[in-house]
Amino acid sequence: MLSNLDSLMHGFSVALTAYHIMLIVGGVLLGILVGVLPGLGAPNGVTLLLPLTFTMDPVSAIILLTSLYWGALFGGSTTSILFNIPGEPSSVATTFDGYPMARQGRATEALTYAFLSAGFGALVGIIVITLLSTAVASFALRFGPPEYFAVYLLAFSSFIAFGGGTPLKTIIALALGFGFGMMGTDTVSGAMRLTFDVPDLIRGISFLVVVIGLFGLGELLLTIEEGPEFKGASGRIDPREILRTAARMPRYWLAMLRGSAVGVWMGITPGGPTAASFMSYGIARRVSRNGANFGKGEPEGVIAPETADHSAGTAAMLPMLSLGIPGSATSAVMLGGLMIWGLNPGPMLFVEQHDFVWGMIASMYLGNVIGVVLALATVPLFAAMLSVSFAIIGPIIVTVCLVGAYTVANAGFDLWLAVLFGIMGYMMKKLDYPLAPMVLAMVIGDKAEDAFRQSMLLSNGSVTILWSNWLVGTLTSIALLFLAWPVVAMLLGRRRASRAAMAAARQGDAA
Amino acid sequence: MLTRFHLELIFAACVFAIGAVGLYGSLELDTGWASDGPQAGFFPFRVALILMVGAVLVAIQAVRARAKLRPITVTDHAGMRRILWFGLPIIGMVALAQWLGLYAAMAVYLLATIRLGGRRPWHTSLGVAAGVTVVTFVVFEWWFQVPLLKGPLEIMLGLA
Repeated sequence: MLSNLDSLMHGFSVALTAYHIMLIVGGVLLGILVGVLPGLGAPNGVTLLLPLTFTMDPVSAIILLTSLYWGALFGGSTTSILFNIPGEPSSVATTFDGYPMARQGRATEALTYAFLSAGFGALVGIIVITLLSTAVASFALRFGPPEYFAVYLLAFSSFIAFGGGTPLKTIIALALGFGFGMMGTDTVSGAMRLTFDVPDLIRGISFLVVVIGLFGLGELLLTIEEGPEFKGASGRIDPREILRTAARMPRYWLAMLRGSAVGVWMGITPGGPTAASFMSYGIARRVSRNGANFGKGEPEGVIAPETADHSAGTAAMLPMLSLGIPGSATSAVMLGGLMIWGLNPGPMLFVEQHDFVWGMIASMYLGNVIGVVLALATVPLFAAMLSVSFAIIGPIIVTVCLVGAYTVANAGFDLWLAVLFGIMGYMMKKLDYPLAPMVLAMVIGDKAEDAFRQSMLLSNGSVTILWSNWLVGTLTSIALLFLAWPVVAMLLGRRRASRAAMAAARQGDAA
Repeated sequence: MLTRFHLELIFAACVFAIGAVGLYGSLELDTGWASDGPQAGFFPFRVALILMVGAVLVAIQAVRARAKLRPITVTDHAGMRRILWFGLPIIGMVALAQWLGLYAAMAVYLLATIRLGGRRPWHTSLGVAAGVTVVTFVVFEWWFQVPLLKGPLEIMLGLA
């Protein structure tokens, strides 16, 4: 672990250049903008910026993109608190107590709690990454194709077990992602798959276009349907109130630690920030002494989801870097970026791309500290921006999304795809289909298939290779257990229900 | 009015159709399992089947829960109107972009939606439409050197 600290110091020497700090500040500001605007969120903000980083050095590119991610996470909370409009899906839980606080005239307090606890959560996530990433990576260096396949399978099946939402709809979302990801040239045999002799499909469907459709246009349709009117609390910030609130922060240490723990866990397992923030809010409401005040403007109700949101966002980088498995939709997009920049995500990064990995980790410390400061400082600016009517901002966001979709592959065809996926995203959101599994399946689906087919080449077509040693055997077994989890849970639930019914019946007898 | 029940069925039908098309496409490939493991069509075939079965199950669930899903409206008339007013111009812009290029389509789209949809005065609409288009052009063509889709207009102006 000490060598990790050395590496981190080296990372700071990479990240602490004027150019990179400029990128961090620019990225965070762009991110806050993206987070504040409804319809633009972290996943498609990163997607839109990605084509512009193709010519950049990978370290600079990842610093820019991750900074945008942190900014978006911060920006989403601003609108949640001031306008009751979550700029990001992951800050929905922040509206529950943040907006009531703002309406009581405690906007500065709510924003300070939100940003500081978010910064704390992020810090915990990054410290976990700093301490654990090399260990995970060196462990993963021993992985062969069967182990990789088992880990991918584990990622997919944990969505089904823990993703929230109905397992059936998660399975459909995953299958849609796999299906769209398979289109184009098959990497193992070189055959054309599911292209239906359409020339535009030979490239396959880019997950970037899908993200822009699902998260960008789809989200806009949802926003416009509700007839957005930004009527909110004043965005005026009182600097003395910030200091007073900051001094009260330590009182909530337990809530912050709890939120961080939930967030780190949900970020490493692919639950993602949105699930983490809801889960943390739910747990806090149940166990907190102030539980009864939740929903009426309780600071803990802001702190709990915010710490979890950010620690999940940062912790999602750990499996992405060390295993090549993204923990959230946004890190899935970044993983795609890594491949485009010519890096091979996974444990070899730690061996071959020392500068890249540690430069990025160091920049995460800087980015989040800068993020807290900038988020607080720019609240009045971005709050004023939302006073511009959605009738003007909405169409501008549409053009930004479509321009982004075009730059992915310079194809006019992709514009149609983005529109189609926008309609699909609207319907999926309305029907509670989870979107993140679909993106994850598109990004790593073909890698999982490659790993599986390579394993089968090694074993002459026998699946027993997935249990050939204790490591891969355990991983595969856990993955299969998760896959069967909905059925297991249903059976357990039924038994518990019948036991409860029996107990009730007995009580009825006694009475 | 669109109820949750209907939307569940509509989307299930879409998923089923996607699955069916995928099934058809995968049958052109070898869907079997040879001595070196699964062939190119093995997974597409099974994913397509999962989609079709999943869609049928969702539809069955929806039908069984129809009493609960029918009263839930997905969107009312006003919401539907707003979606169409917002969505149809996007489709128009994409269609226009294939022919006139992104810049011209963007300018026309912004002008039309802000003037007609948003009912803003002419000078606001024109200003935003021209401003956004010019900024996009400068950022992409000059700054980042990422050329966007161009049409006859740019060729005429000598910008392509």
